[in-house]
Amino acid sequence: MWIPSRCWNSSNRRLHCRIETLTLRDRVTLLFKTLLVVTATGSLAATVGCSRGEQRALSPGGFFGAELPTPVAKPDFTFTDSKGQPFPFVAKTAGKVTLLFFGYTHCPDICPVHLANIAAVLDKLPDDIQRDVVVIFVTTDPVRDSLPVLDHWVKGFSPVFIGLTASDSVLAAAQAMVKLLPAERDTVRDAQGNYAVGHAATVIAYTRDGLGRVVYPFGTRQRDWAHDLPALVGYGRSP
Amino acid sequence: MQWWCAATGLPWNWNWQWYPGVHLLLLLLGGAWWILGRRQRWSRRPTAWFVVAWVGLLLTLDWPVGKLGAGYLASVHTVQFLTLTLLVAPSLLRSIPAEGWQRLAPAGSLRSRLLHFFAGALPGLLAYNILVLTTHFPSVVDAAMTTQVGSFAIDIAWLLAGCLLWWPILAPAGFVRLGVFGMMGYLFGATVVPTIPAMMMVFSDWPIYRLYELAPRVSAHFTANEDIQLAGLVMKLIGDLPLWIATAVVFYRGTSQGRGLANA
Repeated sequence: MWIPSRCWNSSNRRLHCRIETLTLRDRVTLLFKTLLVVTATGSLAATVGCSRGEQRALSPGGFFGAELPTPVAKPDFTFTDSKGQPFPFVAKTAGKVTLLFFGYTHCPDICPVHLANIAAVLDKLPDDIQRDVVVIFVTTDPVRDSLPVLDHWVKGFSPVFIGLTASDSVLAAAQAMVKLLPAERDTVRDAQGNYAVGHAATVIAYTRDGLGRVVYPFGTRQRDWAHDLPALVGYGRSP
Repeated sequence: MQWWCAATGLPWNWNWQWYPGVHLLLLLLGGAWWILGRRQRWSRRPTAWFVVAWVGLLLTLDWPVGKLGAGYLASVHTVQFLTLTLLVAPSLLRSIPAEGWQRLAPAGSLRSRLLHFFAGALPGLLAYNILVLTTHFPSVVDAAMTTQVGSFAIDIAWLLAGCLLWWPILAPAGFVRLGVFGMMGYLFGATVVPTIPAMMMVFSDWPIYRLYELAPRVSAHFTANEDIQLAGLVMKLIGDLPLWIATAVVFYRGTSQGRGLANA
Protein backbone atom coordinates (compact mmCIF):
# COMPACT_ATOMS: atom_id res chain seq x y z
CA MET A 1 0.00 0.00 0.00
CA TRP A 2 1.22 3.48 -0.83
CA ILE A 3 -0.82 5.14 1.82
CA PRO A 4 -1.04 3.90 5.43
CA SER A 5 -4.12 1.71 5.76
CA ARG A 6 -5.61 3.85 8.52
CA CYS A 7 -5.91 6.66 5.98
CA TRP A 8 -8.39 4.70 3.88
CA ASN A 9 -12.00 4.89 4.73
CA SER A 10 -13.11 1.34 3.98
CA SER A 11 -16.78 2.23 3.60
CA ASN A 12 -16.44 4.68 0.71
CA ARG A 13 -12.87 3.83 -0.40
CA ARG A 14 -11.78 7.44 0.03
CA LEU A 15 -8.66 8.93 1.46
CA HIS A 16 -9.28 11.01 4.55
CA CYS A 17 -5.74 11.78 5.73
CA ARG A 18 -3.86 15.00 5.11
CA ILE A 19 -0.12 14.71 4.68
CA GLU A 20 0.32 16.78 7.85
CA THR A 21 -1.56 14.21 9.91
CA LEU A 22 0.84 11.41 8.99
CA THR A 23 3.46 10.38 11.51
CA LEU A 24 7.14 10.88 10.80
CA ARG A 25 7.49 7.16 10.13
CA ASP A 26 4.62 7.26 7.63
CA ARG A 27 6.18 10.22 5.88
CA VAL A 28 9.59 8.57 5.64
CA THR A 29 7.99 5.40 4.28
CA LEU A 30 5.99 7.41 1.78
CA LEU A 31 9.09 9.31 0.65
CA PHE A 32 11.06 6.08 0.34
CA LYS A 33 8.34 4.45 -1.75
CA THR A 34 8.08 7.51 -3.95
CA LEU A 35 11.81 7.55 -4.59
CA LEU A 36 11.68 3.82 -5.27
CA VAL A 37 9.00 4.25 -7.92
CA VAL A 38 10.74 7.22 -9.49
CA THR A 39 14.10 5.43 -9.58
CA ALA A 40 12.57 2.22 -10.90
CA THR A 41 10.76 4.08 -13.65
CA GLY A 42 13.91 5.97 -14.60
CA SER A 43 16.07 2.87 -14.60
CA LEU A 44 13.55 0.99 -16.69
CA ALA A 45 13.44 3.85 -19.14
CA ALA A 46 17.21 4.06 -19.37
CA THR A 47 17.55 0.29 -19.75
CA VAL A 48 14.94 0.04 -22.46
CA GLY A 49 16.39 3.08 -24.23
CA CYS A 50 19.94 1.73 -24.14
CA SER A 51 19.04 -1.81 -25.09
CA ARG A 52 17.05 -0.63 -28.09
CA GLY A 53 20.08 1.35 -29.22
CA GLU A 54 22.15 -1.84 -29.44
CA GLN A 55 19.73 -3.70 -31.71
CA ARG A 56 21.54 -3.00 -34.96
CA ALA A 57 22.69 -5.47 -37.52
CA LEU A 58 26.32 -5.67 -38.64
CA SER A 59 27.38 -6.73 -42.12
CA PRO A 60 29.37 -9.97 -42.47
CA GLY A 61 32.57 -7.91 -42.41
CA GLY A 62 31.54 -6.19 -39.19
CA PHE A 63 30.28 -2.84 -40.54
CA PHE A 64 27.05 -0.93 -40.03
CA GLY A 65 27.39 0.29 -43.61
CA ALA A 66 26.30 -1.91 -46.49
CA GLU A 67 29.12 -4.09 -47.83
CA LEU A 68 29.40 -4.30 -51.61
CA PRO A 69 29.22 -7.83 -52.97
CA THR A 70 32.09 -6.96 -55.31
CA PRO A 71 34.54 -4.25 -54.21
CA VAL A 72 34.97 -1.37 -56.65
CA ALA A 73 38.21 0.31 -57.68
CA LYS A 74 38.94 3.97 -57.06
CA PRO A 75 38.09 6.26 -59.97
CA ASP A 76 41.38 6.82 -61.71
CA PHE A 77 40.81 10.43 -62.71
CA THR A 78 42.53 13.70 -62.09
CA PHE A 79 40.18 16.21 -60.49
CA THR A 80 40.88 19.81 -59.54
CA ASP A 81 41.08 20.69 -55.86
CA SER A 82 39.56 23.81 -54.37
CA LYS A 83 42.92 25.62 -54.65
CA GLY A 84 42.93 24.99 -58.38
CA GLN A 85 45.64 22.31 -58.25
CA PRO A 86 45.38 18.96 -60.05
CA PHE A 87 44.29 16.14 -57.78
CA PRO A 88 45.14 12.67 -59.12
CA PHE A 89 42.64 10.77 -57.02
CA VAL A 90 44.34 7.38 -56.79
CA ALA A 91 47.81 8.73 -56.06
CA LYS A 92 46.68 11.34 -53.53
CA THR A 93 44.58 8.93 -51.49
CA ALA A 94 46.84 5.89 -51.63
CA GLY A 95 47.16 3.99 -48.35
CA LYS A 96 44.35 5.90 -46.66
CA VAL A 97 40.78 5.07 -45.87
CA THR A 98 38.93 7.28 -48.33
CA LEU A 99 35.33 8.43 -48.03
CA LEU A 100 34.09 9.60 -51.42
CA PHE A 101 30.88 11.56 -51.81
CA PHE A 102 29.36 13.26 -54.84
CA GLY A 103 27.11 16.22 -54.04
CA TYR A 104 26.76 19.98 -54.38
CA THR A 105 27.10 22.94 -52.06
CA HIS A 106 23.55 24.24 -52.60
CA CYS A 107 22.18 20.88 -51.44
CA PRO A 108 19.62 21.66 -48.73
CA ASP A 109 19.52 18.32 -46.92
CA ILE A 110 21.61 15.24 -47.72
CA CYS A 111 25.08 16.68 -48.40
CA PRO A 112 25.39 18.95 -45.35
CA VAL A 113 23.99 16.28 -43.02
CA HIS A 114 26.35 13.57 -44.33
CA LEU A 115 29.42 15.81 -44.09
CA ALA A 116 28.46 17.28 -40.70
CA ASN A 117 27.98 13.81 -39.25
CA ILE A 118 31.31 12.51 -40.56
CA ALA A 119 33.07 15.65 -39.31
CA ALA A 120 31.49 15.37 -35.86
CA VAL A 121 32.57 11.75 -35.52
CA LEU A 122 36.10 12.21 -36.88
CA ASP A 123 36.61 15.04 -34.43
CA LYS A 124 35.99 12.67 -31.52
CA LEU A 125 38.08 9.75 -32.79
CA PRO A 126 41.74 9.27 -31.81
CA ASP A 127 44.36 11.17 -33.82
CA ASP A 128 45.78 8.04 -35.47
CA ILE A 129 42.34 7.21 -36.89
CA GLN A 130 41.83 10.80 -38.03
CA ARG A 131 45.17 10.80 -39.83
CA ASP A 132 44.26 7.64 -41.75
CA VAL A 133 40.92 8.91 -43.08
CA VAL A 134 40.53 11.21 -46.09
CA VAL A 135 37.13 12.72 -46.83
CA ILE A 136 36.61 13.75 -50.45
CA PHE A 137 33.63 15.78 -51.62
CA VAL A 138 33.27 15.96 -55.41
CA THR A 139 30.85 18.58 -56.66
CA THR A 140 28.24 17.56 -59.19
CA ASP A 141 27.41 21.20 -59.85
CA PRO A 142 30.65 22.76 -61.08
CA VAL A 143 28.78 25.71 -62.60
CA ARG A 144 27.72 27.14 -59.25
CA ASP A 145 30.40 25.51 -57.12
CA SER A 146 33.32 27.71 -58.08
CA LEU A 147 36.62 26.92 -56.39
CA PRO A 148 36.24 29.57 -53.62
CA VAL A 149 32.61 28.52 -52.97
CA LEU A 150 33.59 24.86 -52.81
CA ASP A 151 36.59 25.54 -50.57
CA HIS A 152 34.63 27.70 -48.14
CA TRP A 153 31.75 25.24 -47.93
CA VAL A 154 33.80 22.07 -47.48
CA LYS A 155 36.20 23.64 -44.97
CA GLY A 156 33.15 24.81 -43.02
CA PHE A 157 32.64 21.19 -41.95
CA SER A 158 36.27 20.32 -41.32
CA PRO A 159 39.54 21.94 -42.35
CA VAL A 160 40.86 18.55 -43.47
CA PHE A 161 37.99 17.75 -45.81
CA ILE A 162 38.89 18.03 -49.50
CA GLY A 163 36.61 19.57 -52.12
CA LEU A 164 37.13 18.58 -55.75
CA THR A 165 35.68 19.63 -59.07
CA ALA A 166 36.05 18.56 -62.69
CA SER A 167 34.48 18.94 -66.09
CA ASP A 168 31.03 17.43 -66.62
CA SER A 169 32.47 14.61 -68.71
CA VAL A 170 35.03 13.62 -66.05
CA LEU A 171 32.36 13.78 -63.35
CA ALA A 172 30.01 11.55 -65.34
CA ALA A 173 32.76 9.03 -66.04
CA ALA A 174 33.88 9.00 -62.40
CA GLN A 175 30.35 8.36 -61.14
CA ALA A 176 29.86 5.60 -63.70
CA MET A 177 33.13 3.98 -62.66
CA VAL A 178 32.03 3.77 -59.01
CA LYS A 179 28.62 2.49 -60.14
CA LEU A 180 26.62 5.53 -59.03
CA LEU A 181 23.72 6.97 -60.95
CA PRO A 182 24.91 10.13 -62.71
CA ALA A 183 23.91 13.41 -61.10
CA GLU A 184 21.32 15.42 -62.99
CA ARG A 185 20.51 19.12 -62.80
CA ASP A 186 16.84 19.97 -62.44
CA THR A 187 15.46 22.12 -65.23
CA VAL A 188 13.01 23.85 -62.87
CA ARG A 189 14.38 27.02 -61.28
CA ASP A 190 13.06 29.07 -58.40
CA ALA A 191 12.63 32.85 -58.38
CA GLN A 192 16.31 33.34 -57.59
CA GLY A 193 17.37 31.06 -60.42
CA ASN A 194 18.40 28.25 -58.07
CA TYR A 195 17.93 24.67 -59.09
CA ALA A 196 18.30 21.28 -57.45
CA VAL A 197 20.74 18.60 -58.52
CA GLY A 198 19.66 15.00 -58.22
CA HIS A 199 22.60 12.93 -57.08
CA ALA A 200 23.46 9.69 -55.32
CA ALA A 201 23.14 10.02 -51.56
CA THR A 202 25.76 7.38 -50.91
CA VAL A 203 29.21 7.74 -49.38
CA ILE A 204 31.64 5.15 -50.71
CA ALA A 205 34.28 3.96 -48.27
CA TYR A 206 37.58 2.70 -49.69
CA THR A 207 39.80 0.69 -47.40
CA ARG A 208 43.55 1.21 -47.35
CA ASP A 209 44.07 -1.31 -50.14
CA GLY A 210 42.29 1.06 -52.52
CA LEU A 211 39.07 -0.90 -52.90
CA GLY A 212 35.60 0.45 -52.20
CA ARG A 213 34.06 -2.10 -49.89
CA VAL A 214 31.32 -0.40 -47.92
CA VAL A 215 28.67 2.17 -48.87
CA TYR A 216 26.78 4.44 -46.51
CA PRO A 217 23.35 5.63 -47.61
CA PHE A 218 21.70 8.77 -46.30
CA GLY A 219 20.45 7.94 -42.82
CA THR A 220 23.79 6.67 -41.58
CA ARG A 221 24.10 7.89 -38.03
CA GLN A 222 27.08 9.24 -36.16
CA ARG A 223 27.21 6.19 -33.89
CA ASP A 224 27.47 4.00 -37.03
CA TRP A 225 30.34 6.09 -38.36
CA ALA A 226 32.00 5.97 -34.95
CA HIS A 227 31.94 2.19 -35.08
CA ASP A 228 32.86 1.78 -38.74
CA LEU A 229 35.67 4.30 -39.24
CA PRO A 230 38.11 2.54 -36.89
CA ALA A 231 37.00 -0.77 -38.41
CA LEU A 232 37.71 0.57 -41.92
CA VAL A 233 41.14 1.83 -40.81
CA GLY A 234 41.91 -1.55 -39.27
CA TYR A 235 40.59 -3.54 -42.22
CA GLY A 236 43.15 -6.02 -43.56
CA ARG A 237 45.61 -5.36 -40.75
CA SER A 238 46.72 -8.40 -38.80
CA PRO A 239 45.29 -8.32 -35.27
CA MET B 1 -2.41 19.16 -46.59
CA GLN B 2 -0.74 18.82 -43.23
CA TRP B 3 -3.21 19.14 -40.36
CA TRP B 4 -0.62 18.97 -37.60
CA CYS B 5 3.09 19.78 -37.56
CA ALA B 6 5.15 16.64 -38.19
CA ALA B 7 8.58 15.89 -39.59
CA THR B 8 8.61 15.80 -43.38
CA GLY B 9 12.33 15.58 -44.12
CA LEU B 10 11.95 18.50 -46.52
CA PRO B 11 14.46 21.34 -46.40
CA TRP B 12 13.56 24.11 -43.96
CA ASN B 13 12.16 27.37 -45.33
CA TRP B 14 10.52 30.39 -43.76
CA ASN B 15 7.37 30.23 -45.88
CA TRP B 16 4.28 30.37 -43.69
CA GLN B 17 2.31 27.16 -43.58
CA TRP B 18 -1.24 26.65 -42.37
CA TYR B 19 -1.92 23.81 -39.95
CA PRO B 20 -5.75 23.56 -39.75
CA GLY B 21 -5.63 21.02 -36.91
CA VAL B 22 -3.92 23.50 -34.60
CA HIS B 23 -6.43 26.26 -35.34
CA LEU B 24 -9.35 23.85 -35.02
CA LEU B 25 -8.11 22.75 -31.59
CA LEU B 26 -7.74 26.37 -30.49
CA LEU B 27 -11.21 27.20 -31.77
CA LEU B 28 -12.74 24.24 -29.93
CA LEU B 29 -10.86 25.08 -26.76
CA GLY B 30 -11.94 28.72 -26.84
CA GLY B 31 -15.54 27.74 -27.53
CA ALA B 32 -15.58 25.11 -24.79
CA TRP B 33 -14.19 27.53 -22.22
CA TRP B 34 -16.70 30.22 -23.15
CA ILE B 35 -19.69 27.88 -23.12
CA LEU B 36 -18.59 26.29 -19.83
CA GLY B 37 -18.43 29.71 -18.20
CA ARG B 38 -21.89 30.66 -19.47
CA ARG B 39 -23.52 27.38 -18.52
CA GLN B 40 -22.05 27.35 -15.05
CA ARG B 41 -22.66 31.09 -14.61
CA TRP B 42 -19.21 31.80 -13.22
CA SER B 43 -19.20 34.85 -10.97
CA ARG B 44 -15.83 35.78 -12.46
CA ARG B 45 -14.02 34.73 -15.61
CA PRO B 46 -10.26 34.18 -15.24
CA THR B 47 -9.81 35.55 -18.74
CA ALA B 48 -6.17 36.48 -18.31
CA TRP B 49 -5.22 32.89 -17.48
CA PHE B 50 -7.16 31.58 -20.44
CA VAL B 51 -5.54 34.10 -22.78
CA VAL B 52 -2.09 33.04 -21.54
CA ALA B 53 -2.95 29.38 -22.15
CA TRP B 54 -4.54 30.05 -25.54
CA VAL B 55 -1.76 32.27 -26.85
CA GLY B 56 0.82 29.86 -25.40
CA LEU B 57 -0.80 27.00 -27.32
CA LEU B 58 -0.94 29.04 -30.51
CA LEU B 59 2.71 30.02 -30.32
CA THR B 60 3.84 26.52 -29.35
CA LEU B 61 1.91 24.41 -31.81
CA ASP B 62 1.55 26.67 -34.83
CA TRP B 63 4.09 27.72 -37.48
CA PRO B 64 7.02 28.33 -37.10
CA VAL B 65 7.67 26.88 -33.62
CA GLY B 66 5.50 23.82 -34.22
CA LYS B 67 7.14 23.04 -37.54
CA LEU B 68 10.68 23.62 -36.23
CA GLY B 69 10.10 21.49 -33.16
CA ALA B 70 8.40 18.66 -34.99
CA GLY B 71 11.01 18.06 -37.62
CA TYR B 72 14.10 20.20 -37.40
CA LEU B 73 15.42 21.23 -33.99
CA ALA B 74 15.40 19.20 -30.79
CA SER B 75 16.00 22.39 -28.81
CA VAL B 76 12.76 23.89 -30.12
CA HIS B 77 10.99 20.59 -29.41
CA THR B 78 12.15 20.93 -25.80
CA VAL B 79 10.94 24.52 -25.62
CA GLN B 80 7.55 23.21 -26.76
CA PHE B 81 7.62 20.62 -23.99
CA LEU B 82 8.42 23.26 -21.38
CA THR B 83 5.83 25.71 -22.66
CA LEU B 84 3.07 23.11 -22.73
CA THR B 85 3.84 21.58 -19.34
CA LEU B 86 4.98 24.63 -17.40
CA LEU B 87 2.99 27.49 -18.90
CA VAL B 88 -0.03 26.35 -20.90
CA ALA B 89 -1.16 23.52 -18.59
CA PRO B 90 -1.13 25.50 -15.31
CA SER B 91 -2.75 28.48 -17.04
CA LEU B 92 -5.51 26.21 -18.35
CA LEU B 93 -6.13 24.86 -14.86
CA ARG B 94 -6.31 28.41 -13.50
CA SER B 95 -8.63 29.50 -16.30
CA ILE B 96 -11.49 27.66 -14.59
CA PRO B 97 -12.49 29.25 -11.27
CA ALA B 98 -12.94 27.19 -8.09
CA GLU B 99 -16.72 27.23 -8.48
CA GLY B 100 -16.31 25.91 -12.00
CA TRP B 101 -14.25 22.96 -10.81
CA GLN B 102 -16.76 22.22 -8.08
CA ARG B 103 -19.61 22.19 -10.60
CA LEU B 104 -17.57 20.16 -13.06
CA ALA B 105 -16.93 17.53 -10.41
CA PRO B 106 -19.80 17.45 -7.90
CA ALA B 107 -19.02 15.73 -4.59
CA GLY B 108 -19.35 11.96 -4.84
CA SER B 109 -19.18 11.85 -8.64
CA LEU B 110 -16.65 9.78 -10.55
CA ARG B 111 -15.02 12.99 -11.78
CA SER B 112 -14.68 14.24 -8.25
CA ARG B 113 -13.08 10.98 -7.13
CA LEU B 114 -10.69 11.13 -10.07
CA LEU B 115 -9.71 14.72 -9.38
CA HIS B 116 -9.26 13.94 -5.68
CA PHE B 117 -7.07 10.98 -6.59
CA PHE B 118 -4.84 13.06 -8.86
CA ALA B 119 -4.62 15.86 -6.31
CA GLY B 120 -2.41 13.56 -4.26
CA ALA B 121 1.33 13.76 -4.66
CA LEU B 122 2.03 10.21 -5.79
CA PRO B 123 -0.44 9.76 -8.66
CA GLY B 124 0.41 13.18 -10.11
CA LEU B 125 4.14 12.69 -9.83
CA LEU B 126 4.05 9.15 -11.16
CA ALA B 127 1.82 9.95 -14.12
CA TYR B 128 3.84 13.07 -15.00
CA ASN B 129 7.16 11.23 -14.81
CA ILE B 130 5.96 8.28 -16.85
CA LEU B 131 4.60 10.60 -19.54
CA VAL B 132 7.80 12.66 -19.60
CA LEU B 133 10.04 9.60 -19.86
CA THR B 134 7.90 7.88 -22.46
CA THR B 135 7.60 10.91 -24.70
CA HIS B 136 11.37 11.47 -24.61
CA PHE B 137 12.41 7.91 -25.47
CA PRO B 138 14.50 8.17 -28.65
CA SER B 139 12.55 5.36 -30.31
CA VAL B 140 9.21 6.98 -29.41
CA VAL B 141 10.27 10.44 -30.60
CA ASP B 142 11.80 9.12 -33.83
CA ALA B 143 8.67 7.14 -34.65
CA ALA B 144 5.99 9.53 -33.44
CA MET B 145 7.23 12.81 -34.85
CA THR B 146 7.24 11.57 -38.42
CA THR B 147 3.46 11.20 -38.45
CA GLN B 148 0.84 13.85 -37.79
CA VAL B 149 -1.07 11.56 -35.42
CA GLY B 150 2.09 10.74 -33.48
CA SER B 151 3.15 14.35 -33.27
CA PHE B 152 -0.36 15.34 -32.13
CA ALA B 153 -0.29 12.56 -29.51
CA ILE B 154 3.04 13.82 -28.12
CA ASP B 155 1.74 17.39 -27.87
CA ILE B 156 -1.45 16.31 -26.14
CA ALA B 157 0.49 13.97 -23.84
CA TRP B 158 2.64 16.93 -22.75
CA LEU B 159 -0.42 19.05 -22.11
CA LEU B 160 -1.93 16.24 -20.06
CA ALA B 161 1.37 15.70 -18.22
CA GLY B 162 1.44 19.40 -17.34
CA CYS B 163 -2.13 19.29 -16.02
CA LEU B 164 -1.32 16.23 -13.91
CA LEU B 165 1.82 17.90 -12.62
CA TRP B 166 0.14 21.14 -11.58
CA TRP B 167 -3.20 19.81 -10.35
CA PRO B 168 -1.97 18.95 -6.82
CA ILE B 169 -0.58 22.49 -6.55
CA LEU B 170 -3.37 24.48 -8.22
CA ALA B 171 -6.47 22.45 -7.37
CA PRO B 172 -9.01 24.62 -5.55
CA ALA B 173 -9.59 24.34 -1.82
CA GLY B 174 -12.01 21.43 -1.90
CA PHE B 175 -9.46 19.18 -3.58
CA VAL B 176 -6.15 20.11 -2.03
CA ARG B 177 -4.60 17.65 0.36
CA LEU B 178 -0.93 18.58 0.21
CA GLY B 179 0.46 20.90 2.86
CA VAL B 180 3.14 23.52 2.28
CA PHE B 181 6.05 21.14 2.75
CA GLY B 182 4.21 18.44 0.84
CA MET B 183 3.90 20.81 -2.12
CA MET B 184 7.52 21.84 -1.86
CA GLY B 185 8.65 18.23 -1.78
CA TYR B 186 6.31 17.44 -4.65
CA LEU B 187 7.70 20.25 -6.81
CA PHE B 188 11.23 19.13 -6.04
CA GLY B 189 10.25 15.59 -7.00
CA ALA B 190 9.05 16.87 -10.36
CA THR B 191 12.54 18.13 -11.19
CA VAL B 192 14.24 14.75 -10.66
CA VAL B 193 13.08 12.46 -13.44
CA PRO B 194 13.33 14.93 -16.37
CA THR B 195 17.03 15.03 -15.50
CA ILE B 196 17.38 11.56 -17.07
CA PRO B 197 16.46 12.49 -20.66
CA ALA B 198 18.13 15.89 -20.24
CA MET B 199 21.45 14.34 -19.22
CA MET B 200 21.19 11.72 -21.97
CA MET B 201 20.90 14.57 -24.46
CA VAL B 202 23.81 16.52 -23.01
CA PHE B 203 26.30 13.76 -22.24
CA SER B 204 25.58 11.13 -24.88
CA ASP B 205 28.57 10.65 -27.21
CA TRP B 206 26.35 10.74 -30.26
CA PRO B 207 22.95 12.36 -30.92
CA ILE B 208 20.25 10.25 -29.30
CA TYR B 209 17.47 11.26 -31.68
CA ARG B 210 17.75 9.97 -35.24
CA LEU B 211 15.10 12.44 -36.36
CA TYR B 212 17.01 15.55 -35.33
CA GLU B 213 20.42 14.12 -36.25
CA LEU B 214 19.39 13.57 -39.85
CA ALA B 215 17.00 16.52 -40.22
CA PRO B 216 17.83 19.15 -42.84
CA ARG B 217 19.75 21.89 -41.06
CA VAL B 218 18.04 25.18 -40.35
CA SER B 219 21.39 26.92 -40.07
CA ALA B 220 24.78 25.71 -41.24
CA HIS B 221 26.26 27.16 -38.06
CA PHE B 222 24.13 25.06 -35.72
CA THR B 223 24.97 21.36 -35.85
CA ALA B 224 22.74 18.48 -34.79
CA ASN B 225 25.05 17.73 -31.87
CA GLU B 226 24.90 21.31 -30.60
CA ASP B 227 21.15 21.36 -31.06
CA ILE B 228 20.53 18.19 -29.04
CA GLN B 229 22.95 19.23 -26.29
CA LEU B 230 21.23 22.60 -26.10
CA ALA B 231 17.91 20.77 -25.84
CA GLY B 232 19.17 18.88 -22.79
CA LEU B 233 20.46 22.04 -21.16
CA VAL B 234 17.22 23.91 -21.82
CA MET B 235 15.22 21.02 -20.41
CA LYS B 236 17.19 20.93 -17.19
CA LEU B 237 18.25 24.51 -16.56
CA ILE B 238 15.28 26.46 -17.89
CA GLY B 239 12.77 23.70 -17.14
CA ASP B 240 13.61 23.61 -13.45
CA LEU B 241 13.29 27.36 -13.04
CA PRO B 242 9.46 27.63 -12.98
CA LEU B 243 9.32 24.73 -10.52
CA TRP B 244 11.80 26.45 -8.21
CA ILE B 245 9.86 29.69 -8.50
CA ALA B 246 6.64 27.82 -7.71
CA THR B 247 8.35 26.24 -4.69
CA ALA B 248 9.36 29.69 -3.46
CA VAL B 249 5.82 31.01 -3.97
CA VAL B 250 4.33 28.03 -2.10
CA PHE B 251 6.78 28.55 0.75
CA TYR B 252 6.16 32.31 0.89
CA ARG B 253 2.39 31.89 0.87
CA GLY B 254 2.57 29.10 3.45
CA THR B 255 4.68 31.12 5.84
CA SER B 256 2.53 34.23 5.30
CA GLN B 257 -0.62 32.28 6.16
CA GLY B 258 1.15 30.80 9.19
CA ARG B 259 2.13 34.26 10.41
CA GLY B 260 -1.42 35.50 9.80
CA LEU B 261 -2.89 32.68 11.86
CA ALA B 262 -0.35 33.24 14.65
CA ASN B 263 -1.12 36.97 14.77
CA ALA B 264 -4.86 36.25 14.90
